[in-house]
Amino acid sequence: MSVGTLLSQYGDKYLLALLTTWRLTFFAFLIAFAVGVVITVVRICPIRPLRLFGDFYVQIFRNIPGAALLILLVYAFPYIGMLWSYYTCVLIACSLIPSAFCSEYLMAGMNTIQVGQIEAARSLGMTFFQLVKNLVLPQALRTSVLQLTNLLVGTMLTTALASQVPMSSTDLTGIVSYINTHAVGGITAFAISAVLYCATALVIGCVGSWIDKKVRILR
Amino acid sequence: MQNEKTTVIQAQETPVIELKHVKKYFGDLYVLKDVSLSVKKGEVVVIIGPSGSGKSTLCRTINRLETVDEGEVLIEGKPLPQEGKQLARVRSQIGMVFQSYNLFSHKTILDNVTVGPTDVLHKSKKEARQEALELLKRVGVEDQADKVPAQLSGGQQQRVAIARSLAMHPKAILFDEPTSALDPELIGEVLAVMSELARENMTMVVVTHEMNFARKVADRIIFMDEGRILEENTPEEFFDHPKTQRAKDFLNSIQHHE
Repeated sequence: MSVGTLLSQYGDKYLLALLTTWRLTFFAFLIAFAVGVVITVVRICPIRPLRLFGDFYVQIFRNIPGAALLILLVYAFPYIGMLWSYYTCVLIACSLIPSAFCSEYLMAGMNTIQVGQIEAARSLGMTFFQLVKNLVLPQALRTSVLQLTNLLVGTMLTTALASQVPMSSTDLTGIVSYINTHAVGGITAFAISAVLYCATALVIGCVGSWIDKKVRILR
Repeated sequence: MQNEKTTVIQAQETPVIELKHVKKYFGDLYVLKDVSLSVKKGEVVVIIGPSGSGKSTLCRTINRLETVDEGEVLIEGKPLPQEGKQLARVRSQIGMVFQSYNLFSHKTILDNVTVGPTDVLHKSKKEARQEALELLKRVGVEDQADKVPAQLSGGQQQRVAIARSLAMHPKAILFDEPTSALDPELIGEVLAVMSELARENMTMVVVTHEMNFARKVADRIIFMDEGRILEENTPEEFFDHPKTQRAKDFLNSIQHHE
Protein backbone atom coordinates (compact mmCIF):
# COMPACT_ATOMS: atom_id res chain seq x y z
CA MET A 1 0.00 0.00 0.00
CA SER A 2 1.14 3.51 -0.72
CA VAL A 3 1.49 6.24 1.86
CA GLY A 4 -1.54 7.96 0.31
CA THR A 5 -3.91 5.00 0.62
CA LEU A 6 -2.67 4.19 4.11
CA LEU A 7 -3.25 7.75 5.28
CA SER A 8 -6.63 8.03 3.63
CA GLN A 9 -7.78 4.77 5.22
CA TYR A 10 -6.04 4.96 8.57
CA GLY A 11 -5.16 8.65 8.92
CA ASP A 12 -7.53 9.24 11.82
CA LYS A 13 -6.21 6.11 13.56
CA TYR A 14 -2.63 7.33 13.13
CA LEU A 15 -3.62 10.65 14.64
CA LEU A 16 -5.23 8.96 17.64
CA ALA A 17 -2.17 6.72 18.01
CA LEU A 18 0.12 9.75 17.94
CA LEU A 19 -1.97 11.42 20.63
CA THR A 20 -1.85 8.24 22.74
CA THR A 21 1.94 8.11 22.42
CA TRP A 22 2.19 11.79 23.35
CA ARG A 23 -0.11 11.37 26.31
CA LEU A 24 1.77 8.32 27.60
CA THR A 25 5.10 10.07 27.06
CA PHE A 26 3.97 13.21 28.85
CA PHE A 27 2.60 11.49 31.96
CA ALA A 28 5.37 8.87 32.08
CA PHE A 29 8.04 11.57 31.93
CA LEU A 30 6.24 13.67 34.54
CA ILE A 31 6.13 10.74 36.96
CA ALA A 32 9.69 9.66 36.07
CA PHE A 33 10.96 13.18 36.72
CA ALA A 34 9.15 13.56 40.04
CA VAL A 35 10.22 10.12 41.26
CA GLY A 36 13.74 10.70 39.93
CA VAL A 37 14.09 13.95 41.90
CA VAL A 38 12.79 12.36 45.11
CA ILE A 39 15.04 9.30 44.72
CA THR A 40 18.03 11.57 44.10
CA VAL A 41 17.36 13.52 47.30
CA VAL A 42 16.99 10.20 49.12
CA ARG A 43 20.33 9.05 47.70
CA ILE A 44 22.20 12.02 49.19
CA CYS A 45 20.28 12.41 52.47
CA PRO A 46 22.07 12.07 55.82
CA ILE A 47 20.25 8.81 56.70
CA ARG A 48 22.28 5.84 55.49
CA PRO A 49 19.50 3.20 55.16
CA LEU A 50 17.53 5.63 52.98
CA ARG A 51 20.59 6.26 50.83
CA LEU A 52 21.04 2.53 50.35
CA PHE A 53 17.37 2.18 49.44
CA GLY A 54 17.78 4.92 46.80
CA ASP A 55 20.81 3.23 45.25
CA PHE A 56 18.98 -0.11 45.30
CA TYR A 57 15.96 1.42 43.57
CA VAL A 58 18.12 2.82 40.79
CA GLN A 59 20.01 -0.45 40.32
CA ILE A 60 16.72 -2.35 39.99
CA PHE A 61 14.94 -0.12 37.50
CA ARG A 62 18.00 0.82 35.50
CA ASN A 63 18.75 -2.81 34.83
CA ILE A 64 15.36 -4.40 34.21
CA PRO A 65 14.09 -4.70 30.61
CA GLY A 66 10.89 -2.73 30.04
CA ALA A 67 9.11 -5.72 28.56
CA ALA A 68 9.95 -7.85 31.61
CA LEU A 69 8.62 -5.18 33.94
CA LEU A 70 5.43 -4.88 31.91
CA ILE A 71 4.89 -8.67 31.95
CA LEU A 72 5.35 -8.65 35.72
CA LEU A 73 2.83 -5.85 36.14
CA VAL A 74 0.25 -7.38 33.79
CA TYR A 75 0.52 -11.08 34.63
CA ALA A 76 2.13 -11.41 38.06
CA PHE A 77 0.80 -8.46 40.06
CA PRO A 78 -2.87 -9.56 39.83
CA TYR A 79 -1.85 -12.59 41.91
CA ILE A 80 -0.89 -10.31 44.78
CA GLY A 81 -4.12 -8.40 44.44
CA MET A 82 -2.91 -5.61 42.18
CA LEU A 83 -4.99 -5.67 39.09
CA TRP A 84 -4.57 -2.54 37.04
CA SER A 85 -5.74 -1.49 33.61
CA TYR A 86 -3.37 -2.11 30.70
CA TYR A 87 -2.89 1.63 30.37
CA THR A 88 -1.86 1.94 34.02
CA CYS A 89 0.56 -0.97 33.69
CA VAL A 90 2.19 0.58 30.63
CA LEU A 91 2.36 3.96 32.33
CA ILE A 92 4.03 2.49 35.43
CA ALA A 93 6.59 0.53 33.38
CA CYS A 94 7.33 3.60 31.25
CA SER A 95 7.79 5.77 34.37
CA LEU A 96 9.84 3.61 36.70
CA ILE A 97 12.61 2.78 34.25
CA PRO A 98 13.22 6.40 33.15
CA SER A 99 12.99 7.52 36.81
CA ALA A 100 16.14 5.50 37.56
CA PHE A 101 17.95 7.13 34.64
CA CYS A 102 16.64 10.54 35.68
CA SER A 103 18.25 10.04 39.09
CA GLU A 104 21.54 8.99 37.49
CA TYR A 105 21.59 12.13 35.33
CA LEU A 106 20.81 14.33 38.33
CA MET A 107 23.60 12.66 40.33
CA ALA A 108 25.99 13.42 37.47
CA GLY A 109 24.75 17.01 37.40
CA MET A 110 25.29 17.23 41.13
CA ASN A 111 28.92 16.26 40.76
CA THR A 112 29.53 19.51 38.91
CA ILE A 113 28.62 21.56 42.01
CA GLN A 114 31.73 23.02 43.62
CA VAL A 115 32.35 21.71 47.14
CA GLY A 116 33.10 25.28 48.20
CA GLN A 117 29.58 26.40 47.36
CA ILE A 118 28.17 23.60 49.49
CA GLU A 119 30.46 24.69 52.34
CA ALA A 120 29.29 28.27 51.87
CA ALA A 121 25.66 27.18 52.10
CA ARG A 122 26.37 25.16 55.24
CA SER A 123 28.22 28.13 56.71
CA LEU A 124 25.10 30.24 56.19
CA GLY A 125 23.31 27.77 58.45
CA MET A 126 21.31 25.94 55.81
CA THR A 127 19.81 22.60 56.82
CA PHE A 128 19.89 19.62 54.48
CA PHE A 129 16.59 20.49 52.81
CA GLN A 130 17.49 24.18 52.45
CA LEU A 131 20.76 23.12 50.86
CA VAL A 132 18.92 20.83 48.46
CA LYS A 133 16.34 23.49 47.59
CA ASN A 134 18.70 26.43 47.17
CA LEU A 135 21.81 24.87 45.74
CA VAL A 136 21.84 21.17 44.94
CA LEU A 137 18.66 20.71 42.90
CA PRO A 138 18.77 24.02 40.98
CA GLN A 139 22.36 23.46 39.90
CA ALA A 140 21.89 19.75 39.20
CA LEU A 141 18.77 20.40 37.12
CA ARG A 142 20.25 23.28 35.19
CA THR A 143 23.32 21.28 34.21
CA SER A 144 21.35 18.17 33.18
CA VAL A 145 18.85 19.75 30.77
CA LEU A 146 20.34 18.02 27.72
CA GLN A 147 20.46 14.63 29.43
CA LEU A 148 16.86 15.07 30.56
CA THR A 149 15.94 15.97 26.98
CA ASN A 150 17.45 12.67 25.85
CA LEU A 151 15.55 10.98 28.63
CA LEU A 152 12.28 12.44 27.35
CA VAL A 153 12.99 11.06 23.88
CA GLY A 154 13.95 7.74 25.47
CA THR A 155 10.73 7.72 27.45
CA MET A 156 8.76 8.26 24.26
CA LEU A 157 10.48 5.29 22.62
CA THR A 158 9.84 3.19 25.74
CA THR A 159 6.10 3.81 25.39
CA ALA A 160 6.21 1.50 22.35
CA LEU A 161 5.77 -1.16 25.05
CA ALA A 162 2.10 -0.23 24.87
CA SER A 163 1.91 -2.18 21.60
CA GLN A 164 2.42 -5.39 23.58
CA VAL A 165 -0.88 -5.16 25.43
CA PRO A 166 -4.38 -4.69 24.05
CA MET A 167 -5.16 -1.08 25.00
CA SER A 168 -8.42 0.55 23.97
CA SER A 169 -6.59 3.26 22.03
CA THR A 170 -3.36 1.96 20.60
CA ASP A 171 -0.04 3.81 20.34
CA LEU A 172 2.18 4.57 17.35
CA THR A 173 3.81 1.13 17.36
CA GLY A 174 0.57 -0.70 18.10
CA ILE A 175 -1.16 0.94 15.14
CA VAL A 176 1.30 -0.73 12.77
CA SER A 177 0.39 -4.22 14.06
CA TYR A 178 -3.27 -3.25 13.82
CA ILE A 179 -2.95 -2.19 10.18
CA ASN A 180 -0.85 -5.19 9.23
CA THR A 181 -3.37 -7.61 10.67
CA HIS A 182 -6.25 -5.92 8.81
CA ALA A 183 -4.50 -5.17 5.54
CA VAL A 184 -1.07 -5.39 3.95
CA GLY A 185 0.51 -2.12 5.09
CA GLY A 186 3.97 -3.56 4.87
CA ILE A 187 7.03 -1.47 5.58
CA THR A 188 5.19 1.75 4.68
CA ALA A 189 2.95 1.41 7.71
CA PHE A 190 6.09 1.30 9.87
CA ALA A 191 7.62 4.23 8.00
CA ILE A 192 4.70 6.53 8.81
CA SER A 193 4.99 5.75 12.53
CA ALA A 194 8.75 6.21 12.35
CA VAL A 195 8.34 9.65 10.79
CA LEU A 196 5.91 10.67 13.54
CA TYR A 197 8.34 9.43 16.25
CA CYS A 198 11.20 11.31 14.60
CA ALA A 199 9.21 14.52 14.22
CA THR A 200 8.26 14.42 17.90
CA ALA A 201 11.86 13.73 18.92
CA LEU A 202 13.03 16.64 16.77
CA VAL A 203 10.65 19.05 18.49
CA ILE A 204 11.69 17.73 21.92
CA GLY A 205 15.35 18.13 20.97
CA CYS A 206 14.89 21.73 19.81
CA VAL A 207 12.95 22.74 22.92
CA GLY A 208 15.54 21.01 25.11
CA SER A 209 18.44 22.87 23.51
CA TRP A 210 16.57 26.15 23.84
CA ILE A 211 15.93 25.56 27.56
CA ASP A 212 19.56 24.48 28.05
CA LYS A 213 20.82 27.76 26.59
CA LYS A 214 18.41 29.74 28.76
CA VAL A 215 19.32 28.13 32.07
CA ARG A 216 22.97 27.15 31.62
CA ILE A 217 25.03 28.32 34.57
CA LEU A 218 27.84 30.75 33.82
CA ARG A 219 31.01 29.54 35.53
CA MET B 1 23.44 24.19 82.13
CA GLN B 2 24.40 23.48 85.72
CA ASN B 3 26.11 26.85 86.09
CA GLU B 4 23.53 29.10 84.53
CA LYS B 5 23.91 31.79 87.17
CA THR B 6 27.65 32.06 86.83
CA THR B 7 27.30 32.06 83.05
CA VAL B 8 25.05 35.10 83.23
CA ILE B 9 27.42 36.93 85.55
CA GLN B 10 30.41 36.12 83.38
CA ALA B 11 28.60 36.90 80.11
CA GLN B 12 30.83 39.91 79.53
CA GLU B 13 33.95 37.77 79.67
CA THR B 14 32.73 34.68 77.82
CA PRO B 15 34.80 34.50 74.63
CA VAL B 16 32.85 34.42 71.36
CA ILE B 17 35.10 31.62 70.12
CA GLU B 18 37.12 29.26 72.23
CA LEU B 19 39.20 26.24 71.26
CA LYS B 20 40.38 23.94 74.04
CA HIS B 21 43.18 21.46 73.37
CA VAL B 22 41.99 20.77 69.84
CA LYS B 23 43.66 17.86 68.03
CA LYS B 24 42.99 16.92 64.44
CA TYR B 25 44.30 14.21 62.14
CA PHE B 26 43.91 13.77 58.39
CA GLY B 27 44.54 10.03 58.29
CA ASP B 28 48.11 9.67 59.53
CA LEU B 29 48.81 13.36 59.19
CA TYR B 30 48.68 15.17 62.54
CA VAL B 31 47.51 18.67 61.52
CA LEU B 32 46.40 20.35 64.75
CA LYS B 33 48.49 19.48 67.79
CA ASP B 34 46.76 20.52 70.98
CA VAL B 35 45.68 23.98 69.89
CA SER B 36 43.95 26.32 72.34
CA LEU B 37 42.70 29.76 71.43
CA SER B 38 40.11 32.22 72.58
CA VAL B 39 38.65 35.21 70.78
CA LYS B 40 36.83 37.93 72.68
CA LYS B 41 33.95 40.01 71.39
CA GLY B 42 35.16 42.73 69.03
CA GLU B 43 38.63 41.27 68.74
CA VAL B 44 40.50 40.85 65.45
CA VAL B 45 42.76 37.81 65.57
CA VAL B 46 45.05 37.25 62.60
CA ILE B 47 46.56 33.81 62.08
CA ILE B 48 49.75 33.66 60.07
CA GLY B 49 52.28 30.97 59.32
CA PRO B 50 53.79 28.97 56.48
CA SER B 51 51.70 26.79 54.14
CA GLY B 52 50.65 23.52 55.74
CA SER B 53 50.93 24.90 59.25
CA GLY B 54 47.25 24.16 59.93
CA LYS B 55 45.94 27.74 59.85
CA SER B 56 43.09 27.05 57.45
CA THR B 57 42.16 23.83 59.20
CA LEU B 58 42.07 25.68 62.51
CA CYS B 59 39.81 28.32 60.99
CA ARG B 60 37.49 25.67 59.54
CA THR B 61 37.12 23.80 62.84
CA ILE B 62 35.47 26.90 64.32
CA ASN B 63 32.22 26.32 62.39
CA ARG B 64 32.79 22.58 62.11
CA LEU B 65 33.53 22.45 58.41
CA GLU B 66 36.29 20.27 59.85
CA THR B 67 35.50 18.05 62.81
CA VAL B 68 38.04 17.75 65.61
CA ASP B 69 39.34 14.43 66.92
CA GLU B 70 40.03 15.63 70.44
CA GLY B 71 39.35 18.76 72.44
CA GLU B 72 36.47 21.19 72.26
CA VAL B 73 35.26 24.11 70.19
CA LEU B 74 32.98 26.49 72.08
CA ILE B 75 30.88 29.29 70.65
CA GLU B 76 29.84 31.76 73.36
CA GLY B 77 30.71 29.14 75.94
CA LYS B 78 28.62 26.35 74.39
CA PRO B 79 30.24 23.35 72.71
CA LEU B 80 29.52 22.97 68.98
CA PRO B 81 26.71 20.46 68.48
CA GLN B 82 26.79 17.45 66.15
CA GLU B 83 25.77 17.85 62.49
CA GLY B 84 22.09 18.76 62.33
CA LYS B 85 19.63 21.60 62.96
CA GLN B 86 21.42 22.81 66.12
CA LEU B 87 24.73 23.07 64.33
CA ALA B 88 23.05 24.84 61.41
CA ARG B 89 21.77 27.47 63.83
CA VAL B 90 25.23 28.05 65.31
CA ARG B 91 26.72 28.24 61.81
CA SER B 92 24.17 30.89 60.85
CA GLN B 93 25.69 33.07 63.58
CA ILE B 94 29.28 32.68 62.39
CA GLY B 95 30.13 34.18 59.03
CA MET B 96 32.67 32.58 56.73
CA VAL B 97 34.58 34.06 53.82
CA PHE B 98 36.53 31.64 51.66
CA GLN B 99 39.64 31.88 49.53
CA SER B 100 37.65 30.99 46.38
CA TYR B 101 34.65 33.27 47.23
CA ASN B 102 32.19 30.36 46.76
CA LEU B 103 29.29 32.50 45.66
CA PHE B 104 26.31 30.47 44.42
CA SER B 105 27.01 30.47 40.70
CA HIS B 106 23.39 30.05 39.59
CA LYS B 107 22.04 32.94 41.66
CA THR B 108 22.27 36.67 41.03
CA ILE B 109 24.46 38.77 43.29
CA LEU B 110 21.37 40.07 45.07
CA ASP B 111 19.97 36.56 45.60
CA ASN B 112 23.34 35.41 46.92
CA VAL B 113 23.01 37.98 49.70
CA THR B 114 19.29 37.51 50.40
CA VAL B 115 19.07 33.70 50.43
CA GLY B 116 20.48 33.37 53.96
CA PRO B 117 18.22 35.99 55.55
CA THR B 118 15.05 34.74 53.79
CA ASP B 119 15.57 30.98 54.08
CA VAL B 120 17.60 30.60 57.26
CA LEU B 121 16.47 33.64 59.28
CA HIS B 122 12.95 33.67 57.74
CA LYS B 123 12.97 37.38 57.03
CA SER B 124 10.53 38.79 54.48
CA LYS B 125 11.76 39.04 50.88
CA LYS B 126 11.30 42.80 50.92
CA GLU B 127 13.25 43.35 54.11
CA ALA B 128 16.06 41.03 53.00
CA ARG B 129 16.27 42.74 49.62
CA GLN B 130 16.44 46.20 51.11
CA GLU B 131 19.17 45.23 53.53
CA ALA B 132 21.09 43.35 50.84
CA LEU B 133 21.11 46.42 48.61
CA GLU B 134 22.45 48.51 51.48
CA LEU B 135 25.19 45.94 52.16
CA LEU B 136 26.12 45.74 48.48
CA LYS B 137 26.39 49.52 48.47
CA ARG B 138 28.57 49.39 51.56
CA VAL B 139 31.03 47.02 49.86
CA GLY B 140 30.80 49.02 46.63
CA VAL B 141 29.10 46.60 44.22
CA GLU B 142 25.51 47.88 44.29
CA ASP B 143 25.43 48.32 40.51
CA GLN B 144 26.18 44.60 40.00
CA ALA B 145 23.13 43.35 41.92
CA ASP B 146 21.42 41.68 38.95
CA LYS B 147 24.49 40.00 37.49
CA VAL B 148 25.69 36.49 38.25
CA PRO B 149 29.01 35.84 40.04
CA ALA B 150 30.93 34.81 36.90
CA GLN B 151 30.39 38.31 35.47
CA LEU B 152 32.25 39.96 38.36
CA SER B 153 35.96 40.34 39.06
CA GLY B 154 37.48 38.30 41.88
CA GLY B 155 37.69 41.33 44.13
CA GLN B 156 34.05 42.16 43.52
CA GLN B 157 33.01 38.56 44.15
CA GLN B 158 34.90 38.49 47.43
CA ARG B 159 33.25 41.73 48.54
CA VAL B 160 29.85 40.19 47.72
CA ALA B 161 30.86 37.15 49.79
CA ILE B 162 31.57 39.49 52.71
CA ALA B 163 28.18 41.17 52.20
CA ARG B 164 26.55 37.73 52.16
CA SER B 165 28.13 36.99 55.55
CA LEU B 166 27.16 40.38 56.97
CA ALA B 167 23.53 39.91 55.94
CA MET B 168 23.28 37.19 58.61
CA HIS B 169 24.33 39.66 61.37
CA PRO B 170 26.97 37.22 62.56
CA LYS B 171 28.60 37.25 65.98
CA ALA B 172 31.94 36.72 64.28
CA ILE B 173 33.31 36.28 60.78
CA LEU B 174 36.00 33.79 59.78
CA PHE B 175 38.20 34.76 56.84
CA ASP B 176 40.08 31.82 55.32
CA GLU B 177 42.81 33.39 53.16
CA PRO B 178 40.34 35.85 51.62
CA THR B 179 42.85 37.51 49.28
CA SER B 180 45.05 34.57 48.27
CA ALA B 181 43.19 33.89 45.00
CA LEU B 182 43.06 37.54 43.95
CA ASP B 183 45.11 39.42 41.39
CA PRO B 184 47.46 41.76 43.27
CA GLU B 185 45.65 44.92 42.18
CA LEU B 186 42.34 43.60 43.55
CA ILE B 187 43.62 42.71 47.02
CA GLY B 188 43.42 46.28 48.33
CA GLU B 189 39.69 46.69 47.80
CA VAL B 190 38.93 43.55 49.81
CA LEU B 191 41.34 44.44 52.61
CA ALA B 192 39.74 47.91 52.77
CA VAL B 193 36.32 46.38 53.44
CA MET B 194 37.84 44.11 56.08
CA SER B 195 39.64 46.99 57.78
CA GLU B 196 36.39 48.89 57.95
CA LEU B 197 34.67 45.92 59.58
CA ALA B 198 37.46 45.73 62.12
CA ARG B 199 37.01 49.43 62.92
CA GLU B 200 33.32 48.76 63.52
CA ASN B 201 34.32 46.21 66.15
CA MET B 202 33.33 43.07 64.25
CA THR B 203 34.81 39.97 65.85
CA MET B 204 37.13 38.51 63.23
CA VAL B 205 39.44 35.56 62.78
CA VAL B 206 41.59 36.10 59.70
CA VAL B 207 43.96 33.64 58.09
CA THR B 208 46.16 35.65 55.75
CA HIS B 209 49.54 36.23 54.19
CA GLU B 210 49.01 40.01 54.07
CA MET B 211 51.49 41.16 56.69
CA ASN B 212 50.79 44.89 56.36
CA PHE B 213 47.11 44.24 56.93
CA ALA B 214 47.93 42.03 59.92
CA ARG B 215 50.13 44.69 61.48
CA LYS B 216 47.61 47.49 61.00
CA VAL B 217 44.33 45.75 61.80
CA ALA B 218 45.04 42.85 64.16
CA ASP B 219 44.54 43.09 67.90
CA ARG B 220 46.47 39.88 68.24
CA ILE B 221 48.71 37.80 65.98
CA ILE B 222 48.77 34.01 66.18
CA PHE B 223 51.81 32.43 64.58
CA MET B 224 51.40 28.78 63.65
CA ASP B 225 53.82 26.17 62.41
CA GLU B 226 53.41 22.42 61.97
CA GLY B 227 50.03 22.34 63.66
CA ARG B 228 51.06 24.27 66.77
CA ILE B 229 50.61 27.84 67.94
CA LEU B 230 54.18 29.03 68.46
CA GLU B 231 53.54 32.67 69.27
CA GLU B 232 50.60 34.76 70.34
CA ASN B 233 51.21 38.47 70.71
CA THR B 234 50.29 42.01 69.76
CA PRO B 235 51.27 42.87 66.18
CA GLU B 236 53.96 45.32 67.34
CA GLU B 237 55.61 42.78 69.62
CA PHE B 238 55.31 39.94 67.13
CA PHE B 239 56.62 41.75 64.06
CA ASP B 240 59.32 43.76 65.81
CA HIS B 241 60.45 41.27 68.43
CA PRO B 242 59.51 37.72 67.42
CA LYS B 243 60.48 35.31 70.16
CA THR B 244 60.94 32.00 68.34
CA GLN B 245 63.56 31.27 65.73
CA ARG B 246 60.86 29.81 63.48
CA ALA B 247 58.91 33.10 63.49
CA LYS B 248 62.12 35.08 62.84
CA ASP B 249 62.93 32.87 59.85
CA PHE B 250 59.38 33.14 58.55
CA LEU B 251 59.30 36.93 58.80
CA ASN B 252 62.75 37.17 57.20
CA SER B 253 61.80 35.00 54.26
CA ILE B 254 58.70 37.10 53.67
CA GLN B 255 60.59 40.40 53.84
CA HIS B 256 63.04 39.14 51.25
CA HIS B 257 60.16 38.69 48.84
CA GLU B 258 58.43 41.99 49.49
